[in-house]
Amino acid sequence: MPVEAAKTKLGTPADSSPNDPAYLKIRDLIYRISGIYYSEEKLYLLSGRCQRRMLALSAATPSDYLGHLTSRGNCEVELRLLLNEITIGETYMFRHPAQHEALRNVILPQILQVKGAVGLKRLRFWCAGCSTGEEPHALAMFLLEEKDKLLAGSTFDILATDLNDNSLETARAGIYDEYALRSTSPALRQKYFKPAGADKLQANELLKAQIRFERLNLSDDTKMLCQKGIDIVFCCNVLIYFDLASKSRVVQHFFSSLMPGGYLFLGHAESLFGVNDSFRLVHFPGTTAYLKPTAAAVAGGKK
Amino acid sequence: MNAKLQADLRSRIQNLDSISTAPAILTPLLEMLQLPSEKIRIEKVVELVSYDGSIAAQCLRLANSPLFGSRYLETVQSAVMALGLERVRSILFGLCVNRTIPQDKWVIAPEAYWKHSMGCALVTQRMAKKVEYPEPEKAYLAGLLHDLGLLVNSILYTEEFRECLRQAAEQHLPLHIFEERILGFTHCDSGQILCQQWGFSKELVQAAACHHDVSLLPTAGPLACLVHLSDLLCRMRYLGYGYDEILGIELGSDAAWQALVANYPALENMDLARFTLDIDGAMDQIAATVEAVFSNSAAGNKTSAAAATTGSVTTKS
Repeated sequence: MPVEAAKTKLGTPADSSPNDPAYLKIRDLIYRISGIYYSEEKLYLLSGRCQRRMLALSAATPSDYLGHLTSRGNCEVELRLLLNEITIGETYMFRHPAQHEALRNVILPQILQVKGAVGLKRLRFWCAGCSTGEEPHALAMFLLEEKDKLLAGSTFDILATDLNDNSLETARAGIYDEYALRSTSPALRQKYFKPAGADKLQANELLKAQIRFERLNLSDDTKMLCQKGIDIVFCCNVLIYFDLASKSRVVQHFFSSLMPGGYLFLGHAESLFGVNDSFRLVHFPGTTAYLKPTAAAVAGGKK
Repeated sequence: MNAKLQADLRSRIQNLDSISTAPAILTPLLEMLQLPSEKIRIEKVVELVSYDGSIAAQCLRLANSPLFGSRYLETVQSAVMALGLERVRSILFGLCVNRTIPQDKWVIAPEAYWKHSMGCALVTQRMAKKVEYPEPEKAYLAGLLHDLGLLVNSILYTEEFRECLRQAAEQHLPLHIFEERILGFTHCDSGQILCQQWGFSKELVQAAACHHDVSLLPTAGPLACLVHLSDLLCRMRYLGYGYDEILGIELGSDAAWQALVANYPALENMDLARFTLDIDGAMDQIAATVEAVFSNSAAGNKTSAAAATTGSVTTKS
């Protein structure tokens, strides 16, 4: 395990203890900058990520490393490198099954009911910042599996966007290794993938046909304004790289893109606190999401 | 609940054999549970823990488990220190109450029950601290006790209550809905009566009585509101009654939340997402602790016999 390796190489136990108060400061810094939060019990995860960076920089103690993150000339670069470390390994399919459960059990039945009442049959999903495509592929499998059950009589489309051309190319090719598929059941692999060389699988035509990949810069206001009528936005571990002002703007665009009653899903430990107060935080079993309230709920003055 | 049903329920709870023969340490323990932690003498806790060989053995085993750092503690006192007063108090309470309930009367699995109760205790206390409620200890206790009515219903109405749980689990809906439907009252009603009988303060009784009734909460006092919210949060984090509920909860528009905001303006600016992530971390630990304690206690008598024969438990104060 790389974290363990880092611990050993660094040597003294004091260096590797997540209890070092400097880690609390790093935790708060990361939260302020990115919205990603580590609870006390999860600090060891953060310290593991920091230790890999400390090793690279030969920083001896967490508080030296805190210096690299705050007061050195290249602290912004270091912050970004740490954020990269933090999100490594986050991207595999079905990483957060609770999100799909919330969709299946609560959110989609609600939305289908509201839409059904006015004769609308199409559900629209948007994976904003889809990176190499694990999330939209998992979502597509989940929705295809619900096609004759929850989604009987409805259709759906998935828009998946990213700024990075290389990521998009990988996403479009749909070729994944064991890591990306670690939580994908044999039945789903069988149904939606085909072999693609050593230890790899490629999304089949049926799965690919469900997703429209496009290049989009979330900071491009003009293009963002064009996204309308979306029911569900996924934007996991993307906003963490934005400064507060851009983050607020992007989130406000999501808000405008969503239909009333629609939801925004962020990464597991991400929060919108202090970024936007139009959305309402909703708790589901094992996960949380942000609701765009309906006009009636807003008029009710509830917050 | 009509008056006749209420009178009937009250008299049945009064005559409940298993509660009246509760272990002798339950009374001093309940007194101690209501004290703020700085007023508790560690010797007193050690004395209570040592009173029962199997409980003492349980605490030692837990303190020595990987969960708490795989140590080699040999005295009850060192185990109590390692676990922390708060954890010891609630474990002690759990084990004592468990002892009063015959094995075949458990409808909700003891592990699920204590995960939920201890989860609620912790969340209620943390939330109380956030809003600067003056008695966080009392908040902890309110969370720990709020569902005692579930145990009353298990003992007095075992089969009917089993049916409530079955239907609730099958439909993934809150349990109290089916209690109301099948029993004609809920664990809030029976919990209220038991808490009154055990002489708890009015606020604690209110928390047990009102935590599911949104219409009563705005006037039930802050403690009942805190317990209601903690109960919801725990159920949204897989610390419910042992089955999955299908729920989406917007706490911000909850009546109890709004009643609390009126009293404690700090709540309005609370970072609820961060609070949730904080308790997520704590809940994993609670689940592991309860599993360690209560999966052993399922074989409670065995443990007790083992402790008695090995004589591994020593008291030092």
